[in-house]
Amino acid sequence: MQDTVTTSALLDPSHSSVSTQDKSSTGGHTSSTGPQPSKPSSITPVPAKSRNPNSGANFHRMRRIIAEDPEWSLAIVPLLTELCIQHIIKNFQRNPILKQLLPEHQQKILNHLSPNLPLAVTANLIDDENYWLRCCMQRWPVCHVAEHGGSWKRMFFERHLENLLKHFIPGTTDPAVILDLLPLCRNYVRRVHVDQFLPPVRLPAQPQTGDRSDSGSEGEMEEPAVDHYQLGDLVAGLSHLEELDLVYGVKDCGMNFEWNLFLFTYRDCHSLAATIKACHTLKIFKLTRSKVDDEKARIIIRSLLDHPVLEELDLSHNLIGDRGARGAAKLLNHSRLRVLNLANNQVRGPGAQSLAHALAHNTNLVSLNLRLNCIEDEGGQALAHALLTNKCLTTLHLGGNELSEPTATLLSQVLAINTTLTSINLSCNHIGLDGGKQLLEGMSDNKTLLEFDLRLSDVAQESEYLIGQALYANREAARQRALNPSHFVSTITASGPENSVG
Amino acid sequence: MNPPGSLEGLEPDADEHLSTQIVEPSVHSDNPQERIQARRLRIAARLEAQRREALGEYLDGKKESEEDQSKSYKQKEESRLKLAKLLLCGTELVTNIQVAIDIREIHRRVEEEDIKRQRIEKLENEVKTSQDKFDEITSKWEEGKQKRIPQELWEMLNTQQLHCAGLLEDKNKLISELQQELKKKDDQYVKDLKKQSDDICLLLERMEEQVKNVMKTFREELYHIEKAFEVERQELLASNRKKWETALQAHNAKELEYLINRMKKVEDYEKQLNKQRIRDCEEYNMIKIKLEQDVQILEQQLQQRKAVYQLNQEKLEYNLQVLKKRDEESTAIKSQQKRKINRLHDTLNNLRSKYAKQIKQFQEENQSLTLEYKRLVTQFKELQKAMRHFALIDDEKFREIWLMNEEEAKDLIARAFDVDRIIHTHHLGLPWTAPDFWFLKNVGPISQQPQKSAMQIVEEMLLRTEEEEAEEAASESESYLDLPKQISEKTAKRILMLLCDESGFLIESKLLSLLLPLEQSECYLLRLDAIFSALGIESEDDLYKLVNFFLQYRAHHLSSSLQSKPCSQASVEEAGVEGTSMESELELAERTEMQGEKEENLVEGKKEKEKTPPSPWVIHPNDVLKILEAFVMGLKKPRDSRAPLRVQKSVRSKSKDSEYWQALTTVIPPSRLNLWDALYTALEKYHLVLTQRAKLLLENSSLEQQNTELQALLQQYLTAKINSELQVPPTQVLRIPTK
Repeated sequence: MQDTVTTSALLDPSHSSVSTQDKSSTGGHTSSTGPQPSKPSSITPVPAKSRNPNSGANFHRMRRIIAEDPEWSLAIVPLLTELCIQHIIKNFQRNPILKQLLPEHQQKILNHLSPNLPLAVTANLIDDENYWLRCCMQRWPVCHVAEHGGSWKRMFFERHLENLLKHFIPGTTDPAVILDLLPLCRNYVRRVHVDQFLPPVRLPAQPQTGDRSDSGSEGEMEEPAVDHYQLGDLVAGLSHLEELDLVYGVKDCGMNFEWNLFLFTYRDCHSLAATIKACHTLKIFKLTRSKVDDEKARIIIRSLLDHPVLEELDLSHNLIGDRGARGAAKLLNHSRLRVLNLANNQVRGPGAQSLAHALAHNTNLVSLNLRLNCIEDEGGQALAHALLTNKCLTTLHLGGNELSEPTATLLSQVLAINTTLTSINLSCNHIGLDGGKQLLEGMSDNKTLLEFDLRLSDVAQESEYLIGQALYANREAARQRALNPSHFVSTITASGPENSVG
Repeated sequence: MNPPGSLEGLEPDADEHLSTQIVEPSVHSDNPQERIQARRLRIAARLEAQRREALGEYLDGKKESEEDQSKSYKQKEESRLKLAKLLLCGTELVTNIQVAIDIREIHRRVEEEDIKRQRIEKLENEVKTSQDKFDEITSKWEEGKQKRIPQELWEMLNTQQLHCAGLLEDKNKLISELQQELKKKDDQYVKDLKKQSDDICLLLERMEEQVKNVMKTFREELYHIEKAFEVERQELLASNRKKWETALQAHNAKELEYLINRMKKVEDYEKQLNKQRIRDCEEYNMIKIKLEQDVQILEQQLQQRKAVYQLNQEKLEYNLQVLKKRDEESTAIKSQQKRKINRLHDTLNNLRSKYAKQIKQFQEENQSLTLEYKRLVTQFKELQKAMRHFALIDDEKFREIWLMNEEEAKDLIARAFDVDRIIHTHHLGLPWTAPDFWFLKNVGPISQQPQKSAMQIVEEMLLRTEEEEAEEAASESESYLDLPKQISEKTAKRILMLLCDESGFLIESKLLSLLLPLEQSECYLLRLDAIFSALGIESEDDLYKLVNFFLQYRAHHLSSSLQSKPCSQASVEEAGVEGTSMESELELAERTEMQGEKEENLVEGKKEKEKTPPSPWVIHPNDVLKILEAFVMGLKKPRDSRAPLRVQKSVRSKSKDSEYWQALTTVIPPSRLNLWDALYTALEKYHLVLTQRAKLLLENSSLEQQNTELQALLQQYLTAKINSELQVPPTQVLRIPTK
């Protein structure tokens, strides 16, 4: 089919020329041919159509003109290899032959394979990125391959698994659906990101997910078992799993909201804790928006103590209070944790104090996020004290923590001394005018801080502006350092007199 | 782009630095002030350079680089700043939403907390009031139970009902209130959802806008930068082309100039060449003429030379002939000489061989002779040994025989003496004294007294003097010496002490150190020993000689001062001694003895003198050495002749032997012998008488015996029975002598 179409398309102009030639031949042999071809391109189509049937027959003329196309060949019957390849493509599902072929033939087959082939055939056989690119593009309109380590195959399997997990309904869906996939994807999945876990269906009559959420009624509050899918088997099977990003909740429930859609039960919690404890390759663990309270947080954190490789722990948007924070503080000194995110929890002063105590002598933690907690000045001061001795933390987020002037004064001292911090966020606090001034003073001695967020924190515009200037200077210095690291020392010495002059 | 700028900035600095250093006071100058100033300047310059360098990184460097590659760099920097600002602003704009939501959330939380608290308070109040009411009702039930009257009961029940209804109403009201609140919250939730979606929409919008903005600005900036680069490139190209053209033009102009110059030079050179050629031609002609003249002269000279040559050749030929003849002669002589030499060589060889033969012969002879000599020597030695042996044996034998004979003689003498004594005491009735002869006490062969060694004498002397000092008074004059025959011991000792003190140089230093801890006398003894061994004093005689020598010397000295006669005599004697020192030692000894006698006299005389002047006799220590020297000189000569004398010493003197034996024989003097003879005869006679008498006595005794026998017979007869038988016994008749 295609060939014919292309040929016809290709032939079109030739026909025109043919027709002109015909014309010329009919019109006379002589000089009239020269000017004619230049003008008639617009005119010719009309006669061409009329002459089409004739032209197919006129073989000699056809050939002579088609020879200009290097792709064109006389042979109508394709080569045997071509035929074989076509056959292999057609019967790939039943008889996958790929590895035995020559590289160029392999490429050809891969280019023409259908993305709808069953995974059991393709998963461990095909490594070609292009094929998986086609698979992904066919299934999902938006693909961020960078989020999956730049590998389309990995992306396909990760998203495929994610899809299955998202729509898994305990009790109704067959667990084999997921476990069957396991041997196929175990070598490719490094990251499991599931932003919804569906609760088991209460009414067996109701079949599918979309309707299921409607069925929930407020009256029946005491549901005995609303446990979610147990990840244990799956995670144990995935040998390269590095990131686990889970949300025990339902997405897009809209007006069908119901509390128990978002229920993270103790059984879930225990099984999850056992799962992550058994998974020694896990580097990043995120459990957000899942109503994790102190008890559950402690269960999970206990399972993470002395984990060999864990680097990032994200428990944001939960209900963790001071006890959970204390647990996290203990974890800080019993693991290699580099990033800790406790944003939007209920950590108060004591919790922040215990975190600060752990932070004072920690040498691993790089980033700490306590956004939208309520640590107040009590915790803020403790953290500032810890930062006086800490030599590792670079990022600190204390936005929305009811902090005020005392913390700001201590932080200004920290700014003057500390040389590792590069980013601080104090937005949405009550720093006040005086606090802003003190922070500005502290900033004048600091050469390393690159970001300092003071929005909506009652700081005078002037000091905010000046802090911004100082940050700009620091950024420029950092950029200079990055550009020519050999002049690192000289830039530091250079910045000394410059500032003292200014 | 910074490093080149900064480097360029640095270079002029360095130059400046150098120049200032050269012009300004130098560090190596002699003036310290100047040096200090120079150092200060240097430090200041260094600081300045450092500061500049530091600033250069940021401002200067930037400025310079801006000047350098102004447009593109400026554009780039500008767009970078702009983009950074844009990004910052954009992210701020986007995150503003989050921040706003955060703060809204915080506010909501605060409000929520307030409301919650109020609600809880309200509920608590409600609980309290309702509890009160309930309590009231329950208490009234108790009251009701006591009521008996139905009306009252009914009334009460009514009121109770009313109360209960009120309570229920309150509760219901509360419930409805709460439900209303719940509904409000639901509304709120809906609103929140809407707001959230709005926010998200806004966020998306902003993000999209941001992306668009950023893309647009990036594109614009990219375009600007490219444009700037292009412009710069074009400018650069234009400037370079201009430069190139100007350079080319300059080059062309210069080329032309050079060409013209060259042409000019070529012309000049051509002219010069022509001139030179003409001059050279002239010179050439001149030289040619001159040379031709020279050739002619030289040819003439050649002719002359040739003539001289001819002459010389003839002369030389003659000479050659003569020389050849001489040569022949000389060869003849040479051959003759050679022959002679050969002959002489032959004779020389013959002589040599003869000589060698003779040497061999003599060597053999010599060897045989030496062998013989050795044999003889050994024989002689053996002989000597035998002789010594025999001498010893002979001595022994001699001694034995001597002893035997002596014993025999002594026995005989003893017998003789016994006899003599008996004769004297018994027969003559005279007292007898044993004759006392020296030879009687002698035992063994007579020999000379063995000479004592000098040291022994000294030792003895010292000891004795010490003893003497102890008992001086008792035995001062007691001199039973066999040793200082005439010299007092004291003087000898003094002399020796003096010697000891003065001639310490003769003692080895080692010995001195060893001597220190010893006693004085021992010390002296050892010192003297060393000194004597050094001087070669060995025997007693030598020692005496020495002492005497000292005394003589002193005497001589004194005499020279006093001019006394005996002293001079002594000195003459001494001279005589020295002169005759070649004579045998025995003589010398005799002489010394004689001298000693004289000396004794002298000493005694001196002693007398001594008493008048306290100590002039003491020999001055300084003279000791002189004396010693003289002594040693004198002693050396007699020593030489001592060796043969010593052999003679062993030969005994036989004269004494005969004397001895003679003496032994004449122990009994002839007078006594005469006496004995006389006594003998007298005793002979006496003997005769005595023998006669003895005979008589014998006769007498025999007669007596006969008498007694007869008497016995008579007795017998008398006593016989017959007598009794007889009438008349004879006995009565007879008188019998009674015994």
